[in-house]
Amino acid sequence: MNSKILYKDFPILDRKVHGKKLIYLDNAATTLKPKVVVESLKDLYYFHYSNVHRGIHTLATEATNLLEDARRKIANFLNASPEEIIFTSGSTLSLNTIAHSLVKSGILKEDSKVLLTTVEHHANFVPWQRLSKIYNYKLLYAKPTGRMGAILIEDFEKFIKEEPNVVAVTGASNVTGQRLSIRRIREMFEKSILVVDGAQLVPHTKINVKELDLDFLVFSGHKMLGPTGIGVLYGKKELLEKMEPFLYGGEMIDKVTLEDTTFNILPYKFEAGTPNLAGAVGLAKAAEYLENIGMDEVENHIKELTDYAINELMKLDFVELYGPLDETQYGIISFNLDGVHPHDVAHFLDESFGIAIRTGHHCAQPLMMELSSKSRLDFPNATCRASFYVYNTKEDVDALVEGLKNVKRWLGR
Amino acid sequence: MNLYSEIIMDYAKLKKYKKKMNDADTVKEGANLSCGDEIKLYVKVRDGKIESLSFEGKGCIVSQASANLMIERVLGESLENIHEILENVEKMVKGEEYDKNLLKNVSIMENIRSYPNRVKCFMLAWRTLENALKELNMD
Repeated sequence: MNSKILYKDFPILDRKVHGKKLIYLDNAATTLKPKVVVESLKDLYYFHYSNVHRGIHTLATEATNLLEDARRKIANFLNASPEEIIFTSGSTLSLNTIAHSLVKSGILKEDSKVLLTTVEHHANFVPWQRLSKIYNYKLLYAKPTGRMGAILIEDFEKFIKEEPNVVAVTGASNVTGQRLSIRRIREMFEKSILVVDGAQLVPHTKINVKELDLDFLVFSGHKMLGPTGIGVLYGKKELLEKMEPFLYGGEMIDKVTLEDTTFNILPYKFEAGTPNLAGAVGLAKAAEYLENIGMDEVENHIKELTDYAINELMKLDFVELYGPLDETQYGIISFNLDGVHPHDVAHFLDESFGIAIRTGHHCAQPLMMELSSKSRLDFPNATCRASFYVYNTKEDVDALVEGLKNVKRWLGR
Repeated sequence: MNLYSEIIMDYAKLKKYKKKMNDADTVKEGANLSCGDEIKLYVKVRDGKIESLSFEGKGCIVSQASANLMIERVLGESLENIHEILENVEKMVKGEEYDKNLLKNVSIMENIRSYPNRVKCFMLAWRTLENALKELNMD
């Protein structure tokens, strides 16, 4: 893939930061937007905008068609059927919907077991944990025993005999960049409901929900070139049909009387309120843009950059790298500099070199504790994180490496 | 890069006030949850004045320099004066007019106002001091 050609599609990459050309390495937090996505929003709002469904007039019909076209495109993108694609505001709402619906439906109840990992993003951790306090199901945690926060397949194997009712795992860690083997996890927990947090996975690779036999998959549009405020909850039809909705309101109903309410068909049963029409249209356009590049191309490009960056960063003796650093690490590199706090690193890179990286605990505090116990540094309970996407180049990695050398020289204690 | 000037770097590295105090009147912990910075502030008060003050914890250059500048500035001050100092520190970070003479050396970090994302790093020690004093007032 020629990232330099893609550059022209992302006007923001032309801008300067502190007088330097922007080098954007914060893609795991959110990706930049290509012109076609922004133009799809503009076109919708300028020429086809209305509320969807139930409208008889022309604009309502056009808007409804655009929403349902978007749903079909996303369904194709994942090899699902449109009725299994629920639009949400993002991975967080998707995961909350799954957890709440499972307990409200009595599928998850007292004495049930939910298997999580301790590398989860808080979005796939806190909902399960908090609901367990009310519904008294048991939480099991697979802990990473591999290199610096990396999970090994053995870490899951020991829970097979527990026969968890739900296994909710990240597809790829937002801190270590490690991809878990969903295929192996599916084989190990054949009877469990498998929930995959795909926020860091779906943007990087072609996912076939049928072939992987996933029960639920969630992801966010803004991490794959789409707008903010739109995300997807894929759920297997048989399961969704059995489940009580999480949110109640308009559109999700069938018949409402003073005594009770019946629900709309899938997927509308889970889409209460006016949907994020523009978000859905923009997300479908983003998926189309990625498919035009080719998801294999996207994946190879990101892996190549990741390997190159790991290799270059390993040459710096003052950098401690987290994660497996092997073939399972994609798109994300977390690290710390000996004697320099991540905030100072990020500040200096931004101000002196126009390089954007993220720092902090990355909404994964349990994992920070794990890294702290393995670190040879005075661990700051935070890391620096560089993450790549389609428009990044090896030159960006070189700039990061140069920048870090300077940070060490100026701020290293 | 005047947020990382030599003098601020020197304050960040200062060891003088970075220690545990066994006979403190109050020990207050503070944390910036978003970045993992932590501080433990030891406060000893005699006759309405701060007699000694020290801290433990880890954090970025901004938070460490700010803690040291704060201790240097408020040692020996009456609790009343400290409230006035705190008010002026708030004004300084917000970019409002403030009493530079009152804040003395603290004003070397005046530029923090240009970095809204770093204000919470700077304020960690000050907020913790504020909470510690509230606790002492309640006793």
